[in-house]
Amino acid sequence: MVTVRLEGDATLTAATEKLGLSEDEVDTRYGLVAIDPAHDLYGLRVTDEAARRINPAATSDEGEGVFSDPRIEPFGPTR
Amino acid sequence: MRVMIQLRPSPDVVAAVADPGTAVSASDVADRLPGVVLDESFAPVAVPRPLPATPGGDPLSLQRAVFSTAPQHATVLVRGEISDDELVTRATLLPAAARGVTGVFADPVISPVLTCGDSPAVGDATKVAELLRVSELLAEGYDGSGVAVAIVDTGINTAHLETVLGREVTLDRERSWAPEGMEAGPGGFPVDHGTMCAFDSLIAAPRATLLDAPVLNLSAPMPDGLDEDWSPIDGLLSTAVAAFARLRTVLDAMPPESRALVVSNSWGSFSPDWDFPPGHPGNYSDNPAHPFNLIVGSLEQAGADILFAAGNCGRECPDGRCDYPDRPIGGANSHDRVLSVGGVDTEGERVGYSSQGPGRLSDRKPDLCAYTHFAGSKAFGEDVPDSGTSTACPVAAGVVAAIRTRWPATKLSPAQLRTLLRRTADDRSDVGFDYDYGYGVLDTSGVIAALRRRAERTLVV
Repeated sequence: MVTVRLEGDATLTAATEKLGLSEDEVDTRYGLVAIDPAHDLYGLRVTDEAARRINPAATSDEGEGVFSDPRIEPFGPTR
Repeated sequence: MRVMIQLRPSPDVVAAVADPGTAVSASDVADRLPGVVLDESFAPVAVPRPLPATPGGDPLSLQRAVFSTAPQHATVLVRGEISDDELVTRATLLPAAARGVTGVFADPVISPVLTCGDSPAVGDATKVAELLRVSELLAEGYDGSGVAVAIVDTGINTAHLETVLGREVTLDRERSWAPEGMEAGPGGFPVDHGTMCAFDSLIAAPRATLLDAPVLNLSAPMPDGLDEDWSPIDGLLSTAVAAFARLRTVLDAMPPESRALVVSNSWGSFSPDWDFPPGHPGNYSDNPAHPFNLIVGSLEQAGADILFAAGNCGRECPDGRCDYPDRPIGGANSHDRVLSVGGVDTEGERVGYSSQGPGRLSDRKPDLCAYTHFAGSKAFGEDVPDSGTSTACPVAAGVVAAIRTRWPATKLSPAQLRTLLRRTADDRSDVGFDYDYGYGVLDTSGVIAALRRRAERTLVV
């Protein structure tokens, strides 16, 4: 998962352009999610390869970056 | 039958048994016990002898006794087996038949008393309602009316809930959320973990409005690039990020004077393998800057009460999936702006699988414990208890929702409510907090009393 600050134009297209990615490197079904909109911080899912390619300068502001997207599971009985 | 045999050998043999530096075998002590198969793997044990504190007294009376391990006083225990069809005869005749035998005792199997994952139910939902003093809550008007409880889980099946409860439940389809590609709609998911959690949240807040947020998706397609061992009940943390972003819009749309959203999360990450290592800027488990940990803090600050299950990685009987070497309460489950909920059974004892602190983001976790491992939702069958800290979390969420009926977030902030619940918890330690029970077991009578006093102070002002 990648987070990015978008002032004004908070769209998936704007995020993809800022990160220098192509559309097929981004989970468009997931879209752009507001992490902390009061501080213009948004998140999107990208492929592992794209995450490795992202220029650190594009995610240098506080809160921006490439983050793990670990599996989660329930803490109870399962079928 | 397995037995323990007590003998009084010569004092030098007793002294050797009692000496930790001397190796003594069972056959050194008890040569030729007819009808007994000695367990040579069990090292003989010296047993002190009770002596009267005053000369001439009866050592088995209620007088104080002193215990002597002196070789001329102590006895020695060995263990072995006697055939079941000779048991009575051998046990009776052995002291006469073998020199030095003073007694033959049963050696029963012992088991841990903690409730573990495969233990049967301890109590039921009715018992939980009694323990939570739901009748008192209802009498004070705390029933969850007008309060939204978001079950962030596998999805809810309202038909099952209504069948088990024998009444209608309220689920808000419009304010519920689901990721793209979901086949089922809100309230229409297969009966599973999420239905169990929804049931448990309604014990203390029967009139609450459920919001369905299926992040652990039973029907969505497997995300690209994942392993073959992906389980249908797995989810990705990013899905929870999207769910929380949606819940923020739900919360912001509520009028301030009645703002009340309780978010129950009975899930987490079992393994560090799925995460960057601690210290890496992209790590989740130990990193408050991870976007999910940020969005949790943001939602809480906006006025939501957020609860997370502590996890099922307790030292005594952890879930088989547990893979953290230590400190299993990590990520948002250990966030300082959430209530991290451990589990106790209806006898008030911590269940052996309830994860113990310290937490990774915040040290003092779990915050408190609530009830689990009881017969309740029947989501997994008639005889399968609602279990895990997965159950304890929504049970606590229900109490929070009940409180919110009369105390919206603008009157009692989430931080104030957490402090209240911690302060009034039934403390199980001598020091106010411990890593097993947190601040103690959720105590609604204490909460009700504290809220009455708060209400009186507000009126006076």
